[in-house]
Amino acid sequence: MKKILLLLIGAFLIFFIFLNPFFIVYQTQQVILTQLGKPMKTIYEPGLYFKVPFLQETRYFDNRLLDYDAAPAEILTKDKKNLVVDNYAKWRIKDPLKLMLTVKDEIGAQARLDDIIYSELRIELGRHTLHEVLSETRGEIMETVTKRTNEKFIDYGIEVRDVRIKRADLPAENAKAIYGRMQAERDRIAKQYRSEGQEEATKIRAETDREKVVLLAEAYKEEQKIKGEGEASAIKIYADAFQSDPEFYTFTRSLEAYKRSLKDKTTVILSPESDFLKYMK
Amino acid sequence: MAWQDDFQMKKGPGGQYEIPKFTFPKINLPKISFSLSLIIFIIIILWLVFGGYYIVEPDEKGVVLRFGSYARTTESGFHLKFPPPIEKVYTPKVTEVKRTEVGFRIEDPGPPARYRDALEESLMLTGDENIIDLDVVAQYKIIDPVKYLFNVRGPAATVKAAAEAAIREIIGKYKIDEALTEGKFMIQEETRLLLQKILDRYDSGLQIVALQLQDVHPPQQVRDSFKDVASAMEDKNRLINESQGYRNSIIPETRGKASQIIKVAEGYKEERINHAKGDAEKFTSILQEYRKARDVTRKRLYIETMEEVLTGIDKYIIEGKTSGVLPLLPLDTLKQVQGRGKESGGRSQGKEEKP
Repeated sequence: MKKILLLLIGAFLIFFIFLNPFFIVYQTQQVILTQLGKPMKTIYEPGLYFKVPFLQETRYFDNRLLDYDAAPAEILTKDKKNLVVDNYAKWRIKDPLKLMLTVKDEIGAQARLDDIIYSELRIELGRHTLHEVLSETRGEIMETVTKRTNEKFIDYGIEVRDVRIKRADLPAENAKAIYGRMQAERDRIAKQYRSEGQEEATKIRAETDREKVVLLAEAYKEEQKIKGEGEASAIKIYADAFQSDPEFYTFTRSLEAYKRSLKDKTTVILSPESDFLKYMK
Repeated sequence: MAWQDDFQMKKGPGGQYEIPKFTFPKINLPKISFSLSLIIFIIIILWLVFGGYYIVEPDEKGVVLRFGSYARTTESGFHLKFPPPIEKVYTPKVTEVKRTEVGFRIEDPGPPARYRDALEESLMLTGDENIIDLDVVAQYKIIDPVKYLFNVRGPAATVKAAAEAAIREIIGKYKIDEALTEGKFMIQEETRLLLQKILDRYDSGLQIVALQLQDVHPPQQVRDSFKDVASAMEDKNRLINESQGYRNSIIPETRGKASQIIKVAEGYKEERINHAKGDAEKFTSILQEYRKARDVTRKRLYIETMEEVLTGIDKYIIEGKTSGVLPLLPLDTLKQVQGRGKESGGRSQGKEEKP
């Protein structure tokens, strides 16, 4: 019995470990089982599987979302502007058998993706102006390209989940022109600000000067009025006072006038007939 | 011979030939010594022990595959499992916040942190066909470890590419002035939402925690012109402020002058009136006295006045009633004589000619 046991153990070891009929399909993998080179079945579900050694072989494929990244390419927009477009795409192998039969493997798929995506992008971008590509319809353009590309790849067993523009820039020569334009624009704005400031400042100053003149003129007007009032009142006061005896006023006022006006350096010729010298006779 | 004897047809008790018993031939297997089997046994034990457990750290989650197929997710702690290749475990960090940068690279996390600008990433076109230079940081974490591990190949690179695509798409909707100033918040929000949408489309199991614009400015080539605009704004304000200052000093000063003028006028008016009143008063009181003794007062006033007046001035008293003789008074020569006399403080010298 011991010998039978040992024999069984030996056979077990040889078969299961050295010839390896088991294979594991991981969560991220999908496998095509081939028999004598001919594909037999596609395994999508992960787990432990059994194959006949020597006769059956496994071809592994990734079932995750894979990355396709192209080199930047120049594409013309509808309004004949040159755009340097850098795009990527996310794709996965939906049917490994179809893939294997058409492009063989991932590398083959990448090459085909290159062709089809580039051509779809060119077509779609050629339908829109630069402005549209940059802003409004960018999302729609990418959606359309994704859909179209996906349709084209159904026969390859590939699902194209997303074609996305990573960068859409103008070529280097254009950049210079843009900088020139930006600079000119800014200079214009700066100039405008400064001249607006100047204009406003001048206005305020002129207004101030005008107000000053007006204020002084009004003050002058007021001044004259007040002085006039003063004069008028004074005249009235004098008149009222002097009205009571105009003759006496004339007399005293004349005396006052004599006092003031006949001063030094005045030569007076008197007659002894005058009142003053009356008593000199 | 022994073995031949075994196969010798023997005769049994009843005289018939008996079929000899079949025995297994002896195969000489190599003898497995005791120590070797012990070693094999130990290896098996070790395999079970070391592969049979795993620890999930507090910031991780455990994802177990059994024969490659997803079996279960486990929380942090100590867990048992079948050793590989039966069961395999992944422990992604689900609380760690990862970051991806667009437009620059961190050279030295610091502190202080140092950066290097990556111009090909950071320069992009705005909606009004201008070029802007901006850096973005997106922070994300694993929200579904199973999706993260098994759905997308190269998740970190995916996030980066998607982030670049997202920020460019959003910037393309804004004019450069908006992007430089008040649009920043909206740009961040919209980019964050778009990036999340993209990552969800890929079923990545990742969540964008935050998206920040780090540094938004015009490209180096035009930076001076942009700065000049800010200077120009300041100049404008300065000019206006200066003129306001002028106004603020002139107007109050002028008002002051104006009120000054009026005050002076009022003072003049006051003075005039008072002066007049004074004169009037004086006259009135004199008048009152005068009325008491008219004649005498008149005469007195007259004589006093003449006294005051005639003192200190040149006087000539000439008889008035001379007919036919024209009095000639050589005033000029007289004046000269008097002038000399005056210098020595002399009084008037009346020349009297008595008829």
